[in-house]
Amino acid sequence: MKIIRKLKNINSNLSSRSFTVFYRNYMVWLKYYKPGVIGDILEPLLYLAALGFGIGKFIHRIDGMSYVKYIVPGIIASSSMYAAAFESTFGAYTRMVTNGIYEAILLTPVGIEDIVLGEILWGTAKAFMSGAAVLIIGTAFGWTISPFAFFIPVIIVLNGILFSSLSLLITSFSPSYDFFSYYFTIAVSTMFLFSGVFYPVSSLPYLVKYFVYIMPLYYTVSIMRMLDEGRIHPLILSSYLLVIILFALIFFYASVFFIRKRVIK
Amino acid sequence: MVKMKNYILTVKGLTKNFGSVHALNKITFNIKYGDFFGLIGPNGAGKSTLLKILYGIVIPDSGSIGIEGLNLEYDYKKIKYNLGIVPQDDNLDEDLSVYENLLIYSMYFGISKKESIKKSAELLIFFNLDDKKYSKVAALSGGLRRRLMIARALINNPSLIILDEPTSGLDPEYRQNIWGRLKALNENGVTILMSTHYMEEAERLFKNMIILNHGNIVLNGAIKDITLNKKSLEEIFLDIAKN
Repeated sequence: MKIIRKLKNINSNLSSRSFTVFYRNYMVWLKYYKPGVIGDILEPLLYLAALGFGIGKFIHRIDGMSYVKYIVPGIIASSSMYAAAFESTFGAYTRMVTNGIYEAILLTPVGIEDIVLGEILWGTAKAFMSGAAVLIIGTAFGWTISPFAFFIPVIIVLNGILFSSLSLLITSFSPSYDFFSYYFTIAVSTMFLFSGVFYPVSSLPYLVKYFVYIMPLYYTVSIMRMLDEGRIHPLILSSYLLVIILFALIFFYASVFFIRKRVIK
Repeated sequence: MVKMKNYILTVKGLTKNFGSVHALNKITFNIKYGDFFGLIGPNGAGKSTLLKILYGIVIPDSGSIGIEGLNLEYDYKKIKYNLGIVPQDDNLDEDLSVYENLLIYSMYFGISKKESIKKSAELLIFFNLDDKKYSKVAALSGGLRRRLMIARALINNPSLIILDEPTSGLDPEYRQNIWGRLKALNENGVTILMSTHYMEEAERLFKNMIILNHGNIVLNGAIKDITLNKKSLEEIFLDIAKN
C-alpha cells in the first residue's frame, strides 16, 4: 500500500515542466554536438561495416540472409542502448553531482520528478538519434528487409526510455564516475554481446540461454529483428512488448525514487 | 489568523537531525513582510540546514513552515513561484552563457519568452552584467558569478528572497556592490532573508535577526535592540560562539 501511495505521489508531481529540463540539455547539446555525433552515430556504423563486411565474408547465410542484413536490427538496438546509457550515466552524473544542475533547478517550481522525466526524455532522444541513424543508413543501403521495419522507431523509443531509466537508476547509486565501469562491463557490454545482436540466442549453451532472458536488450533486439524481417509472431511480439514496457516502468519509478533520495536529504 | 497575515514566513517547531547530530532543535520564528531579516551564527550552527529546508533541498523531521499563508510541505511548487533563492554553493549552468542562464531559469518558472527577455535585460543592467551577456559563465570572476546568482534568483519577481552567505569570499568592493543592490530591492518592498558570518554586514543590512547556535535560537529581535546594551554585534557573537 505504501508503494502505491508513493507511485501516486510521483505521478501527481509529473508535469509538462519536464520539457524545460529536456530543453536545457538540448540547448547545451547544440553547442557540443559534433564530438557526440561521432560516438552516437559513427561508431555503430563502424560496427556495421566492420562486422558486416569482415565477418560477413565468412558467413554466407544466417537465417537465410547476408550477415550484414542480419545484424542491422541488433546494431540499431545496441547503439540506442549505448547512447541512452552514456547520456544517463556520465551526462546525468555531471549534471547532478559535478555541476549541481539538479539543485539549481529544484530552487524553481520544477520538481525532482520532472527533472528525472526530463532526463529520461533526453536520454531517449539521444538513443533515437543513434538508432534512427543506423536504421536510415541500413535502409539506404538496402539492408533492411520488410516494410514492417517502418515500425522500428517506436521500439527505439521504448528501448531509449528503458535504458535511460535503468542508467539513471545506476547513477542514483553512483559515488563517482569510476562506478560506471561496473555497469558498462557487467550489464551493458554483456547485453551487447549476448542478447542476439550478432548471432541467434538459440546457438548459446542451454544455461547461458536462460540468462539471456533477464536481459532487457534481448527483447528489444528480438522485436526489432521480427519487424525487420517481417516475421511477426503476434503472441511473441505482444508478450515481448509487455516485458519491455514492464522493465521501463519499473526502472522509471525506481530511478525517480532513488534520485529523489539522493538529491533531497 | 490576523497575526499570520503580517508575516511572509512563519517557522514553527522546526527540527532536523542528521543521524545523531541535532542540526535544528524546535526552531520557531516569523518574518514580517518587507523585512530585511538576518540569520547569523557560528559555523555548524544550523544556518544552512535551516535555509535548505526553506528551499526544499532538505526535508525536516518535524515542524511546519508557512510562506505567504501556504504550507511548504503541501504547496512547495506554488510557493516556489514567489521565491528567489541564492544558495551558498554556486550552481550556475556552466555550459551556458550569462544570458542563457537567465533565459533557461525563466523557463523553469514558466515565464513567457517575451517577458523573460524583458526581465533578463533589466536584471543584466541592474547587476551591471550587460557587457558580459554572451560570456560563458566559466569565464566570470567570483564576484560576477555571485551577482549572476542573485540576478537569476530575481527572474520571477519574487516577494521573498533567501540568500545563504551571498558575499562570503568576495572582495570588499564586490560586497559593497551587492549590499547596495540588496538594499535597493528591500526598499522596493522585497522581503529578504539572508545568512552571513560578517557582523559588519549584519549591522549594515538587517532590520531583524536571529542568532543560531547548536541548532537553537539564542537571540531573536530587532538589531537595534540586540546591540542596545553597548556591546557590538561582534562581541555578542563571540560570547555565543564560546558557549
